Amino acid sequence: MDWRAYVRQRLPALDIPGSREAEIVEELALQLEAAHDRALSAGASGDEAFARAASEVPDWQAFADALLHAERPVAARLPSAVRLSADPPVPGAARGAVMQDLLQDIRYAVRSFLRAPRFTIPAVLALALGVGATSAIFSVVRGVMLEPLPYASPDRIVSIWEANVSLNQTRNVVSAANFLAWKERNRSFEYLGLTGPSRLIFILDGQPHEVSGLIASSEVFAALGVQPAMGRTYTAEEDLEGNAGVIMISHEFWRSGLGGRPDILGTTVVANGRPFEVIGVMPPRFTIEGQRADFYRTYAWTLEALRSATGRGTSHAIARLRDGVTLAQAQDEMRTIAAVLEKEEPRRNTGWSVAVVPIHEITTETIRPALLILAGAVLLVLLIACVNVANLLLARSTVRQRELGLRTALGAGRSRLLRQMLTESLLLSVIGGVAGIALAAAFHRGLLALVADRIPVPRLDQVTLDFTVVGFTMALSLGTGLLFGLVPALMATAMANDALREGGRHGSGPRSRRALGTLVVAEVALSLVLLAGAGLLIRSFVKLQSIDPGFRAEGVFTARVNAPSARYPTGGDAERFFSRALEAIRQIPAVQSAAGISFLPLAGPGMGTSFYRTDLPIPADGERPGTEVRPVTPNYFRTMGIPHLAGRDFTEADSADAPLVAVVSEGLVRRMYPGESPLGKRLQVAIGRAEGMDVEIVGVVGDVRFASLDAETRPAVYIPLPQLSIGLVTFVVRTGMEPLTLTSSVSAAVRSLDPEVPLADVRTMEAVVDATLARPRVVAVLLSAFAALALLLAGVGIYGVMAYSVAQRTQELGVRMALGATPASVFRLVLGQSLRLVLAGVALGLVAAAGLTRLLEALLYDTAPLDPWTFGATALLLVLVSMLASYVPARRGTRIAPVEALRAD
Amino acid sequence: MLHTYMDATDTTSLQKGSAELLVLAVLDGPARHGYELAQIIETRSDGRLRFQAATLYPLLYKLEKRGLVAGKWVEKPGERRRRFYRLTPAGKTMLRERRKLWRAFLEALDQVAAVRHA
Repeated sequence: MDWRAYVRQRLPALDIPGSREAEIVEELALQLEAAHDRALSAGASGDEAFARAASEVPDWQAFADALLHAERPVAARLPSAVRLSADPPVPGAARGAVMQDLLQDIRYAVRSFLRAPRFTIPAVLALALGVGATSAIFSVVRGVMLEPLPYASPDRIVSIWEANVSLNQTRNVVSAANFLAWKERNRSFEYLGLTGPSRLIFILDGQPHEVSGLIASSEVFAALGVQPAMGRTYTAEEDLEGNAGVIMISHEFWRSGLGGRPDILGTTVVANGRPFEVIGVMPPRFTIEGQRADFYRTYAWTLEALRSATGRGTSHAIARLRDGVTLAQAQDEMRTIAAVLEKEEPRRNTGWSVAVVPIHEITTETIRPALLILAGAVLLVLLIACVNVANLLLARSTVRQRELGLRTALGAGRSRLLRQMLTESLLLSVIGGVAGIALAAAFHRGLLALVADRIPVPRLDQVTLDFTVVGFTMALSLGTGLLFGLVPALMATAMANDALREGGRHGSGPRSRRALGTLVVAEVALSLVLLAGAGLLIRSFVKLQSIDPGFRAEGVFTARVNAPSARYPTGGDAERFFSRALEAIRQIPAVQSAAGISFLPLAGPGMGTSFYRTDLPIPADGERPGTEVRPVTPNYFRTMGIPHLAGRDFTEADSADAPLVAVVSEGLVRRMYPGESPLGKRLQVAIGRAEGMDVEIVGVVGDVRFASLDAETRPAVYIPLPQLSIGLVTFVVRTGMEPLTLTSSVSAAVRSLDPEVPLADVRTMEAVVDATLARPRVVAVLLSAFAALALLLAGVGIYGVMAYSVAQRTQELGVRMALGATPASVFRLVLGQSLRLVLAGVALGLVAAAGLTRLLEALLYDTAPLDPWTFGATALLLVLVSMLASYVPARRGTRIAPVEALRAD
Repeated sequence: MLHTYMDATDTTSLQKGSAELLVLAVLDGPARHGYELAQIIETRSDGRLRFQAATLYPLLYKLEKRGLVAGKWVEKPGERRRRFYRLTPAGKTMLRERRKLWRAFLEALDQVAAVRHA
């Protein structure tokens, strides 16, 4: 009889040095042996002697407890709560003991993490990715959408536009005459001002530079309730004609453009050849509705000028609600005024109403759908990360049930074990959270770099990593750690005794196995939602990219030129300057052809108006079709590669005093002249002069996308530049070389004619097209990144659960193989188990995705939110990745040696 | 038979104190190993006091930790090594004090409850 083995088998492991434990075992074995031998020599039978020896230690757990009691100082053994009451009331000592306990728990946790890297690394990574991505995106969401605008009571400020439902124009610029009528008749607004984009040419360091700013009436600043950081805003008197010589500048322009001179106030700057006195410098990063502006200047209009203005200009109104007036009341009143104006001025106002929109909404409305989608997506990622961590903690706790059982047996109270498990969870969350903050900073920088100037996100430059958000995500990660640490801990400690009794072989109860399965299903379902969303956006983006804009963008150089009205007072002066510049550009050797257009396609807002056929009865006001109008020079269509379908191009002969002519688009012909030739027919186009222009159609060209690639093509009327000159032209130059190599020679050609006219917005036409794809691209890239993250997390999660499951089923699999199961059948068994969970997750995910992808609709082009190809491919991808993640554990299952499996303990 | 594990009605200090006294008293003399110690207690009490290993060793280890007894592994020719315990000077002092206490305690008991036969 080996008494030492007897003792070793029964004595629960003691948390004391191994050598000491060996001594105790040796000493005890000697005693039992002696008792046994003595009983034998006293005439007892073998069994009786054994029973006598065994009775020396009737209760091994109590014995181990007593040994531990004797071997270790009291402080280390008792739960702190007990110790606090048992110890003499020395507060310092008690606190010291608690600290000591905590340190011990932490040390133990760190050791157990280091021992289980397969658990620790994915768990920390999942938490860090979840916390990092969420913090970065939500910082942007908060900064851009939730942070109050830097105005006085911003919720009282509204932005006012004209709206025409039948023309699908919900935010249209405002007719100056209507603005005046609003101003005279409304009772809703304390202040009502007008503002619109403006560009001025400043001579900086001896070079002309086009600078973007805003033209704004003085009441705009009163409505916003802002004051400059230095100086003052302009007064209502300075708004008036003749007092135009004052300007306010942005803090940024003051620092970079004007060298940050402290004596800037009162100095005179020259812009567009005219002097302006600088009267104010705005606060840093100040914007109106998120529009970056480097200067603010007056309209210099009189009321008479406003009243007699034709057309709708480029401005809209900004107003502050009078105290006690609600937004709805203001909207009602403005609609009523608009209805009256419609009757008074049917020609201008038929079909037109007013949109009164909170300024916060206007500022964020272009970016809101994308941001909300991204915020939703990143929340899903966080959720998946949390599920993953829960998974890992749960799997780990079941593995650890034997250890917990042992420690319970050794007298560790349930609360003591819970505290230990909680310490581990919290520590894990803290490590994950800290890594997450580091990742958040990196993500944040990456996000800003990705968006940069590609998408006009208001106030993006003011977005910093938001520590409220970081705190929130940290709390979430701690909460996840606590919840999913605590529940398994409760389950584990409750089952600890059972675990010991069963020899720790079946550590995982069906309860925890079900829980794990549920988590896998959830993880797969959540990932599928993200993948489906990303898939739809990618598909939509591919379709967007393959849209034919109607011209050949490659090999075309573009640059905008503004002829300042101070030196080119009439349209004719400007047009002559442009035509001479084009002449000079054509002399550049690499230039194949050069032309000009006012308002390049896909480069921002353009000109539009209504028109009608003069050879048919005149339609009523408000029932006339709308069209894009573009003044172009000869050769424009050839240079841009727009197909010429019928008639002729413009020539030098189509001058200002020649008969008015037009080239129209194929779409206009389809709509207005079905089945007949438009050549020689006449159109009345409401533009250029009060009575409009009566033009003869001399040519037909292909359709071009003007506003965006995905918008419907609108009819277009092209008019020779000399007949409709607005002092603003974008040169388009076709070359066989890399287009931007022309920059300096084109610039020199223009400057040789006028050294004070700069090139602005120098870009290739391809870049112009590409810029319109920036937003869908960034959204697709981000959502794909999140989906990839989700896929990775799901893969890791499935791997973790399957690896754990195979480890748990070692014995069962071993028995199966001992009974003749082939490795292939075991492989199928394990993979089948995984496949069932994954398919359940996919099914659930498809249902959820079908419900959620509808939210993407606003961001999709020519792609149904339920696109079966995308859904199918997504589901397939997820199943493949899941199978890949299950492959390694399944292979391990097939390599279990039956004997080893039976021994597995 | 009197067990050193007593019923819940007994005071733990009495139980603990008596067991400690017994062990210290037996070790006052030559060094003994654990089994020997248990045997001596059993023999001297005519089998009325019996220490199970489960009681003895935790007690011994605790006394050792408190510096009252010292254990030492001793290997004798032809035998397996055993751990022998003897009283330390502190143990001797403690034994003297305990004896005094118990004597006083027993006298008091006797006076009040007439524990001893007349």
